[in-house]
Amino acid sequence: MAETYTKEINVKDYPKEVLLDFYKTMAKIRKFDENLIKLMQDGKVSGFYHSGIGSEGLSAGSIRQNLRDEDYIYYNHRGCNQKIAKGVPLSKIYGDFLGTVEGTTKGLGAGIVHSADPARGVLGQAGTIGSQLGLSVGSAFASKLKKTDQVTVVYFGDGAASREMLHGSLNWAGLYKLPVIYICENNEYAISCHVSETHSIKEHIADWADGYGIPNCVVDGNDVLLMHEVVKEAVERAKRGEGPTFIEAQTFRHRGHFEGDPYDYVDVEVLQTWKDTKDPITNFAAKLMSEEIAKEEELQNLNKEIDQEIAEAIDKALAAPMPEAGRIYEGLYA
Amino acid sequence: MRKLTMRNALIEALNEEMERDATTVLFGEDVGKFGGINAVTKGLQEKFGADRVFDTPIAEPTIVAAAVGMAITGNVRPIPELQFGDFVGIAFDEVFNKMGKWRFMHGGQMEMPVTLRLPIGIAGGAGPEHSQSPQALFMHGPGLQIVIPSTPYDAKGLLKTAIRDNNAVLFFEHKMLYDLKGEVPEEEYLIPFGKADVKREGSDVTIIATALQVHTALQAAEELEAQGVEVEVIDPRTLAPLDMETILASVRKTGRALIVHEEPKTGGSGAEIAAQIQEGALFDLAAPIKRIGSPDVPIAQSIYLEQFYVPNKEQIIQQVNELMEY
Repeated sequence: MAETYTKEINVKDYPKEVLLDFYKTMAKIRKFDENLIKLMQDGKVSGFYHSGIGSEGLSAGSIRQNLRDEDYIYYNHRGCNQKIAKGVPLSKIYGDFLGTVEGTTKGLGAGIVHSADPARGVLGQAGTIGSQLGLSVGSAFASKLKKTDQVTVVYFGDGAASREMLHGSLNWAGLYKLPVIYICENNEYAISCHVSETHSIKEHIADWADGYGIPNCVVDGNDVLLMHEVVKEAVERAKRGEGPTFIEAQTFRHRGHFEGDPYDYVDVEVLQTWKDTKDPITNFAAKLMSEEIAKEEELQNLNKEIDQEIAEAIDKALAAPMPEAGRIYEGLYA
Repeated sequence: MRKLTMRNALIEALNEEMERDATTVLFGEDVGKFGGINAVTKGLQEKFGADRVFDTPIAEPTIVAAAVGMAITGNVRPIPELQFGDFVGIAFDEVFNKMGKWRFMHGGQMEMPVTLRLPIGIAGGAGPEHSQSPQALFMHGPGLQIVIPSTPYDAKGLLKTAIRDNNAVLFFEHKMLYDLKGEVPEEEYLIPFGKADVKREGSDVTIIATALQVHTALQAAEELEAQGVEVEVIDPRTLAPLDMETILASVRKTGRALIVHEEPKTGGSGAEIAAQIQEGALFDLAAPIKRIGSPDVPIAQSIYLEQFYVPNKEQIIQQVNELMEY
């Protein structure tokens, strides 16, 4: 059965700039999301969006200090969190939502899926949930063939984990010892169905990886430093040629599956407890202050900088024009 | 000129292209040490090693998805095989939505140099899920080039082009053609996509046929010649892109068109070709466009019953004679 990953962590062991980068990334992700929802409320963006609020620590911790531009990621259905952590410019992501030519797709209007930034290792995402699990073994295979030390990280939710493709993918990854890291963002609900209603597991989704001989664990996905540490070990294992790792990161979404989801299928008290006691940003900020790494004022200043950055990104994305009608005939073939 | 079977022409194309480009990799079920269920990958693993030519689990969606994931890194040129073309049904999302659309969906930022080989066709008692010709399904799927050769010469030249192409290719090989011999020059050549080949010239009727049916049409044309009917036989060679220019020029000359394929008649590639002929040359037609396909029912397992599916010479002659009555 999957073990719970624990590690004695002392924040003072990390350089201050690394800690502030984690904080800043998480805050940026949340503010990006909140501002996107405002754009939806203004009618500028469709509500076809899956908010990542409440799970920022999972993406910031796994990516920021562990992955380079040349490492590949496939993001999940709350993937703006991962794209931002991987460094995709905010104006480009907003541009994709707004449908202006500022977007990574130059006006095709990719929303929660289909943004891509190959130069930063962001190879895109499947609209058919979980299909990225199949592509990820191909990209990892490419690195193995080319004998580089690139790793591929594939993000997917608990819902996507029930796709058949997970098993095809795990079999290949284990069989060919591929440098791929599976990060299952388990927020317990696939739209309305709880994982206990849809998954035949011993106790954890990560237990499935055991059958394929793939090292696995369960981790608190809302602890940014723990996420950093567990993924760091997985990246090192992949780079040593020892193959894949499966990490089930536990989290909870603060909002519904999509904007407009009544979200009445979760226990109100459970949701409130996650918001009050397990918010990755609030908890990390409290730790930075109690350990005297940063003062409240310093964090407030960082937040102001982020607000400014986001406002500029939205302005840039909004100022860019919609594409010409001929755009739909471009780019089908190389 | 020397003669090769289509199988050997394909093996030669794979050998030459894998030698030419070290980023090519070939994989699928039993393609490595066994050399492929149709022996089209024989000797490749020995020559190029198990890193570049490898056996996979029986997992068609993963085979195609992995090919897509390799290709979009820009570092690998995959040549996967599905053991039977019918198995695209298992990997439909990966072929239709990922191979065909990934590049476009993501703003044209990546390339998709994948050549997916798919053996098709009725070949002797293989039954309803190992005998089909599913190529027309993908004429409806943007981003997928569809190649369907009828001769060893075409097979080699088209496969080499497919492998070098930076876009997705579905390469359909009719199993009854693997042992067919034909002239293949020693020197290298490529055949571009979107160029139909006029396999026989004639002035009375145009037959547009693919794969095995090119040969049936040519046999029918010979008999019809004895009756004084001159048939032109056109093989599009690629259904996407489709060379309508050559087809329309021929139909304008003959005024009569018959389309023959082993795909089911309804929604087969002939339906699209017929529609485009009437769009482009309706008033040059002396007779309605006719089509022969296999019946719109699943293929029976019985070898005896197979003859009632595969279009034959007699059917073609009858349809041509009907066209000549106008």
